[in-house]
Amino acid sequence: MSLLVLRFAALFYAGAVTAYVLHFARPRHAALATVGQWLLGIAFVVQAVAIGLGCKEYGGAEFFGLRGGLVFMTWLAAGASLVVQRLYRIPAIGAFVTPLILVVLLPTLFLVKPDFPEVLPEAVRRPMLTIHIVTALLGVALFAIASLVAVMYLLQEREVKGKRFGALFSRLPSLAALDQLNQRLVRVGFVVYTVALLTGSGMAKVVWKSAWQWDPQQISSLVIWMLYGVMVQLRHTGWHGRRFAMLTIVAFGLVVGSMVTLNVLPEGMTRHGGDFSGERK
Amino acid sequence: MNGVRELHLVGLSHKSAPVAVREKVALGGEDLKGALAALADRPGVGEVMVVSTCNRVECYVYGESLEEARHFFLARTGDAKGHLYERSGREAVRHLFRVAASLDSMVVGEPQILGQVKEAYGLAASVQTAGAFVSRLCNRAFATAKRVRSETEIARGAGSVSQVAVELVEKIFGNLKGRAVLLVGAGKMGALSAKALRDLGADRILVTNRSPERSRALAAEIGAVSEPWEGLTSLLVLADVVIVSTGAPSFVITRELAAQAMKARRGRSVCFIDLAVPRNVDPACAEQDNVYAYDIDDLQKVVSQTHAARAEEAIRAEAIVEAEVMAFAQERETRAALPVLAELRRRAEQIARAEAERTLAHVGGKLDEKGRRSVEAMAQAIVNKLLHGPTARLKEAAASGDSDLPGAAAELFGVGEAEAPPRARTRPHDAPDADVHTEPHR
Repeated sequence: MSLLVLRFAALFYAGAVTAYVLHFARPRHAALATVGQWLLGIAFVVQAVAIGLGCKEYGGAEFFGLRGGLVFMTWLAAGASLVVQRLYRIPAIGAFVTPLILVVLLPTLFLVKPDFPEVLPEAVRRPMLTIHIVTALLGVALFAIASLVAVMYLLQEREVKGKRFGALFSRLPSLAALDQLNQRLVRVGFVVYTVALLTGSGMAKVVWKSAWQWDPQQISSLVIWMLYGVMVQLRHTGWHGRRFAMLTIVAFGLVVGSMVTLNVLPEGMTRHGGDFSGERK
Repeated sequence: MNGVRELHLVGLSHKSAPVAVREKVALGGEDLKGALAALADRPGVGEVMVVSTCNRVECYVYGESLEEARHFFLARTGDAKGHLYERSGREAVRHLFRVAASLDSMVVGEPQILGQVKEAYGLAASVQTAGAFVSRLCNRAFATAKRVRSETEIARGAGSVSQVAVELVEKIFGNLKGRAVLLVGAGKMGALSAKALRDLGADRILVTNRSPERSRALAAEIGAVSEPWEGLTSLLVLADVVIVSTGAPSFVITRELAAQAMKARRGRSVCFIDLAVPRNVDPACAEQDNVYAYDIDDLQKVVSQTHAARAEEAIRAEAIVEAEVMAFAQERETRAALPVLAELRRRAEQIARAEAERTLAHVGGKLDEKGRRSVEAMAQAIVNKLLHGPTARLKEAAASGDSDLPGAAAELFGVGEAEAPPRARTRPHDAPDADVHTEPHR
């Protein structure tokens, strides 16, 4: 049932993608951006229903698997991009973010089977874990949006610097706006990710009786956290524009890279692959 | 006779007359009001409007001939002779529509002209020399301009160097709130761009020049702050947009200078706009991160691209203008027959309503709500069917320029005269507009 509703949500996402991309191609039709935003909003609500139904069906265990994690992350990304649209009114962002959401969501509809453990240890059933999962996924979603904004920045910078005042030049927002948005997303993402890291170690302490275990997941999370922390700091020493945008993309590349590697690695190598899959990423 | 044929235009513009002649006939404000009133009082003149901008002076007269309009120019200066163009009827309507739609402008598609025509109309309306006809004419002209703007891309892109500069700066900085603009050199084009940037929100404009007198003079003129030339290096740290137009034979902003400034700016973006020939900004400056540099050729290239694109769009715009001119002419022609029609219909409906009421007073008690409504509907239907033929024929006659039939109809049915062409001055208050009946049919 939840899968069916989720597919409905995907339809609305596809509609939002179409509207936003059309608007990007033909910016004179301003109504398209509004349509895109509405469709994205509807998709968000429908997906919320799907997630709610999923919780009822699997008792929350869903989010301990890759599939549930991706579903939840796309939902958070959609919510975040709705908020960004509301605050900044840069519809061009929709043309970049919604396709990514759809691309990440699609495999969960058809390819990836539910892959969560049948029985969850009672120890992990704590509100702290819920906070950990939500903040970790939200942090990654925010970093993803930031990296897309950085891509937009680099595209626009190439136009502005290269004196190519064509279609992209007129459609993409100003460099200052993109740079500022990128910086804010990184900042908020960093704060959210910090919470994820703290609750993560809290959970580790509960389950493994020790907050730090030299677990590959823990190491990569800490590296990523430090990298974004450095970026937040660099901002004050004049790092902005092109270099900051590149760094945002590199950092997100690292996030994706660690997610992929940790999922591919044999079970034995990740300490919590067996009993603590909440730190899946 | 019909309205459109009575519209005459005499004028001169950047296309027909040099500025030396244009400035002799241009006038504005109180002078123009006086001239309008004087012109409207001349015999044979119904309504008058004068469009006066730095690129054109045009006198639109609704009346018997264009003699008075021509006199308006020749009385001002004999030099105007040979530079005037004259149009009447549809030609005059088309001309005004093209002007308002910015098809006749020096820079096709520039946005100011519509406002200037609106101003001209407002002025004529304020001294009551613009009556029902000119009002309607101008309304259609504004609507045409709006259509051209929204249905073609004629106003797209930047049409002048300073507009290109503004667009570029906008793409780099968004708006310029809280940012500083520095003018290096006291050139005229630089000053123009600085003004445009202030409109974008720049709240600090600094001027520096080798000669402090000229710097101060320009600063006073555009409301900027004059800074000493020796402080250029520190000014570069302050300013986010630097417009350079000095007469210097070599680079004023060298790569080293820019690098030094960027270091002190802690990487904050800076945009150099070099309007000078020979160039004053080393293009190598832009090799650094967050430094943007453009020279006059870069800007000029965008301008000529825009002009080429606009020339293409102008073809579509002309078609819109043509359609609107036709619609307006037809509307005016049909309108000549409309007072008769409206009066005829009003009377017929009055009779129908009275008769229906009388019938209902007799038998209404025996009828239910539905029956009563049927009686009213029947009376209305008789009126409609009876008047359908005459209405169509009268409109047809008017459209083909035949004014005998409306007159005959008025006499036959014993209703008022058809609208007479303006013999004397028609003012708004004694020429109520029958626009209710004459919405343009498109």
